[in-house]
Amino acid sequence: MSKLHFLIPSENWQKPVSILLGILFGLIIYILIISNSMSYISDKPDTCINCHIMKPQLATWQHSSHRETAVCNDCHVPHDNIFNKYFFKAKDGLRHATIFTLRNEPQVIFIKEDGKAVVQDNCVRCHLRENDIVNTKIDLDDWKLNNGKLCWECHNEVPHGSVNSLSSVSFILEEESKRIPDWIEKYLEMQ
Amino acid sequence: MNKRKPWINWILFLLTAVIVLLVAIIATSIIERKTEAEFAYKPTVKISEFESRNEVWGKNFPRQYQSYIQTADTTYRSKYNGNAMIDMLVVDPRLVVLWAGYGFSKDYNQGRGHYYAIDDINNTLRTGAPFDPTDGPMPATCWTCKSPDVPRLMNEIGIKEFYSGQWAGKGDQMHNYIGCADCHDPETMSLRITRPALIEAFERQGKNIEHVSHQEMRTLVCAQCHVEYYFDKNIVEGAQYLTFPWDNGLTVEDMEKYYDNLGFSDWTHSLSRAPMLKAQHPGYEVHMTGVHADRGVSCADCHMPYRSEGGQKFTDHKIQSPLNNIHNSCQVCHREEYSDLIGDVIERQDKIIENRDKLEELLVRAHIEAKKAWDLGASESQMSEILQDIRHAQWRWDYAAASHGGSFHSPVEISRVIGTGITAVQEGRIKLVRVLGELGYRDEVPYPDITTKEKAQKYIGMDAKKLNNEKKEFLKKVIPQWKQQAQEREAAYKTVSN
Repeated sequence: MSKLHFLIPSENWQKPVSILLGILFGLIIYILIISNSMSYISDKPDTCINCHIMKPQLATWQHSSHRETAVCNDCHVPHDNIFNKYFFKAKDGLRHATIFTLRNEPQVIFIKEDGKAVVQDNCVRCHLRENDIVNTKIDLDDWKLNNGKLCWECHNEVPHGSVNSLSSVSFILEEESKRIPDWIEKYLEMQ
Repeated sequence: MNKRKPWINWILFLLTAVIVLLVAIIATSIIERKTEAEFAYKPTVKISEFESRNEVWGKNFPRQYQSYIQTADTTYRSKYNGNAMIDMLVVDPRLVVLWAGYGFSKDYNQGRGHYYAIDDINNTLRTGAPFDPTDGPMPATCWTCKSPDVPRLMNEIGIKEFYSGQWAGKGDQMHNYIGCADCHDPETMSLRITRPALIEAFERQGKNIEHVSHQEMRTLVCAQCHVEYYFDKNIVEGAQYLTFPWDNGLTVEDMEKYYDNLGFSDWTHSLSRAPMLKAQHPGYEVHMTGVHADRGVSCADCHMPYRSEGGQKFTDHKIQSPLNNIHNSCQVCHREEYSDLIGDVIERQDKIIENRDKLEELLVRAHIEAKKAWDLGASESQMSEILQDIRHAQWRWDYAAASHGGSFHSPVEISRVIGTGITAVQEGRIKLVRVLGELGYRDEVPYPDITTKEKAQKYIGMDAKKLNNEKKEFLKKVIPQWKQQAQEREAAYKTVSN
């Protein structure tokens, strides 16, 4: 108990410290809101572009074969068990967030070893049938022992293309808009 | 509590303050990087709904814009076409006789790049020398396919109002050559239709353009202009309403029936007095009958193929003959030798042009033979069927010749069309032989000396020198005025940065 007393400020100090603690608390809530912290629990792709430097990856994925069938977390987060999934998310996310906050991102983003292991396992998870037939079902440990190739060593355009760069895509524009402009519809009385 | 060691309170206070400071710094950093995201991956300027200046679009899309202004290139000549400007009346003076009494006998050049759309329509003798906004031979409708200022003006004054009045009346409004706003939505860059004629033609056929696929749009944006059309004077009083004659279908016979039912003709031939039809570039219609369209290939797939520059893949906007871009246009799908591919194209062109040339010669003969009959006193009833044959034959010749690339887009159909044209003109000439015989003339009507453009124009009684001089005056006096007015208008446009 006396240890805790040590931390409680005396009469004179209580007001300023309370104010400071209030500010701290408010700032923490503020950060939780502006950083979209709740979005990190979901699997939505929009979460990944909270950091805008991931937009090239989003754009290339949107123009790829995997757009309709797999979102970011389907490949980049382990799906062997739920504890592993959230543990990896937290670990990887904190690493990303730290680098992004310190403005330490490289101009060319390559996946790290932990991430490679996860992606390879997820390729095999969905494409199990193909991998059985062609006997390419390996994991990262096998690859390290030179016992096969990782899936993307051959399928290197899937899905983010083979050019890794923050400037490899120009703009991300929204989806299709109307074919007939409003002003024509008005004049031709099509509305 | 810490009366004996008050400095502990100071430390606690400062520690808390430092923690608050760090938390505030993280919050600021988050806000800063979120703000960055507003500008990163966003275009430089906000393009307005009716931005007709291509340079402004080019600020956001430099690769597309830089490749688009390459349409200024006129150095490529293929065997029959290319992007160079070719005076077709010099190459083939028979055209002067075929179009006698119509603007095309004054001046007809093989078109060059979109970059020159405004310059070329200003320079052609067909638009004459109107020194007054109500003067000149051509209507305002002629501007429809030349500029992104067209949708801008149509929106301001209305569609039928745009189609009213003379060509010169809107010259000051048309300043920018064909460009981005003609095909693209300024916010999303989606392809869209900006000319009502195509939409109306689709509606009359019971089709809805909103439901076509993106791949079809890559053809339809071209079909806004590279199609057969005519000006309907009966829809709105005083307006020459741009209309596509597709109600019966897109084949040469379908359109012929459409025009015949209306009793429509573009002009009366000054030699044979035949009620003539002019075919304007039915590129889309012919392409749709060919094998490439059948396989789902769009205009853009060959004429604006994808290009890669430093890892960025984009559509090459240098719209040109695919023969000048074989590796990106053809060899993407057809893994053949360059010379084999070119050889295939030339072979089809050669073979079709062989018959096309013959048809032209026969048409010239038909016109002058008909003139001979009139001169000898033929009657309307004797001549009416003959004139219909000439009309139909030349319509088929023009449909094939004007399709620009028809011998590639659909060689079988184009050959067929020319074949039926030869049949029609010869049927007409057989009738002419009988009529001439009844009038006492049994010799061959001598083929005139039309070996050069000058001789041909003299033969049809045209004063080319006068037209050229008037045009020079016009270009000196009126065009600078139009440019001045346009510059003043555009100086008042605002460009909003993003």
